[in-house]
Amino acid sequence: MLTLIQTLGRYTIEFIAETGRMFLFVLSTAALAVRPPYRFNNLFKQVHFIGVRSLFVIVLTAIFAGMVLALQGYYTLTRFGAEGMLGPAVALSIIRELGPVLTGLMVTGRAGSALAAELGIMRIREQVDALEVMGISSVQFLVVPRILAGLLSLPILTVIFDVIGIFGGYLIAVQLLEMSSGTYFSGIESAVVMRDISTGLIKAFCFGLIVTWICTYKGYYAKRGAEGVSQATTSAVVLSSVLILVCDYFITSVLL
Amino acid sequence: MTQPYIQEPNRIQEEALPLPIGERLLRNQCITPQQLQEALQRQAGESDPKEHLIGKTLIEMGHISHPALLECLFHQLTRERVAYQLNPSAPAIIRFDNVAKTLDGRQVLDGLNLEIPAHKITAIIGISGGGKSVTLKHMVGLMRPDRGDVWVGDQPISRLSGQKLNAVRRRFSLLFQEGALFDSLNVTDNVAFPLRETTALTEVEIRHRVETALQEVNLAGMGHKFPDELSGGMKKRAALARALVTQPEIILLDEPTAGLDPIIENAIHYLICDTYMRTRYTIVCISHAVPAIFDWCHHVVVLHRGRVLASGPSLDIRNSTDPTIKQFISGDLDGPIQVI
Repeated sequence: MLTLIQTLGRYTIEFIAETGRMFLFVLSTAALAVRPPYRFNNLFKQVHFIGVRSLFVIVLTAIFAGMVLALQGYYTLTRFGAEGMLGPAVALSIIRELGPVLTGLMVTGRAGSALAAELGIMRIREQVDALEVMGISSVQFLVVPRILAGLLSLPILTVIFDVIGIFGGYLIAVQLLEMSSGTYFSGIESAVVMRDISTGLIKAFCFGLIVTWICTYKGYYAKRGAEGVSQATTSAVVLSSVLILVCDYFITSVLL
Repeated sequence: MTQPYIQEPNRIQEEALPLPIGERLLRNQCITPQQLQEALQRQAGESDPKEHLIGKTLIEMGHISHPALLECLFHQLTRERVAYQLNPSAPAIIRFDNVAKTLDGRQVLDGLNLEIPAHKITAIIGISGGGKSVTLKHMVGLMRPDRGDVWVGDQPISRLSGQKLNAVRRRFSLLFQEGALFDSLNVTDNVAFPLRETTALTEVEIRHRVETALQEVNLAGMGHKFPDELSGGMKKRAALARALVTQPEIILLDEPTAGLDPIIENAIHYLICDTYMRTRYTIVCISHAVPAIFDWCHHVVVLHRGRVLASGPSLDIRNSTDPTIKQFISGDLDGPIQVI
């Protein structure tokens, strides 16, 4: 019994300490982000890596998500004789929920894991220490541009996901199920309001922070050796994905 | 205790300025006065004469071979080592005051008191796990002691942070064991990196300094290669070029010859000697290349169980009667150090 309590206590203390370290990490990153030198080249490189290079997987995911939503939605709505609401159903699901969440998860899988692995390898090969010895803040040089790039890229990718997803729904609704395109788009126009779009973008912004924060933190503090990098990458992806879903619930409950 | 050595960053004091290499070669009778004169005349005709590259000019003119040049510098270092043994007085540039550090529950440094003499080559030796790399990391503030202080000149680096810490760190260059070259940059960009990030030099000036640094480590023409295309010895030399390009005051070398074959090991030692003779930087080198390292440094510090077991001129340490040091130098299994 005593051992169980000791173990529980140890895990609780470790959890609190880790959480504290993570918050200190993001706070120091925020402080360094506003301090010169500003490395715009690094920022553009990271926007390219996190944003542009995630485009293909986002487009692919979005189109199939829209298509399956349209199929499932049509099947459900016909039961209630409400097929005309298919456009708004697809659009609202994507804009408010699926767009930011799936974009966050896809970016975690494609770019987040790579961020954690890259920083982890830099850590174990002493490249992070090399930066520090040169008198360059490694957090400012490595972490700041990655987190800023995540904050910039995720909302843009989410907008692209939304547009492509709605187009995927259109393909199924209009081309396959022979619904009128006017019905599909006019329903979307009348149902979707600015608040829906802003909710999606707020989520995307938060997920951008979560993905890059967790992944850079895990990579930056990777332990020694290949196994350490592998563990850092895995835990970065798992933690980011879980946190995206948890935060999604809380943001939805606040903004609904 | 010697007085702390106070010095402006990146500024070598007048009395420590090296004798020009040409003069030194002449004094050691490696070249004739006429050959030196010819080389100096040839350099004077160049748009940008570099005194410290007079050796290269002499080699190009066929007055001396590269190995002979290095051999001359080595003999000069040997004379200096003997002189240092007779009069081992040099101001300390780095000082450890009762430094203790525990890592993963293990006491790595246990009240370490250590002084690194300025403008000398110091080797830190000792068995693996004795705290050598941890000591080196304390010197540049990559680690902070649990107890005690580390001084660089008059600055307590162990208590500094932010801009002040970075300012002290810029007096250093550290050659990491694996080089720590950035994989995504080629050799030229790796060497140029600290200049681009920490100085206001123009791109033309940076390129010029990078080319010079690569020439000094015999990597001219290899700038386009990426780290994964280089051999172990070339990586070390590229990393050394990156360490030299910022013209630091103190160079720290973490096992510069580890994992290299004997010829490359010797070449790296000659390169360190050449660098020292040209620049008179303070060089601190962790090495397992025992007993060879005794020939390449003025001062030796033996670390054992987180403390200084012995410290002094290399010739004194080499002839030490301490059983632990004797065992370490000879590599005997039998002795106070029990590894099996």
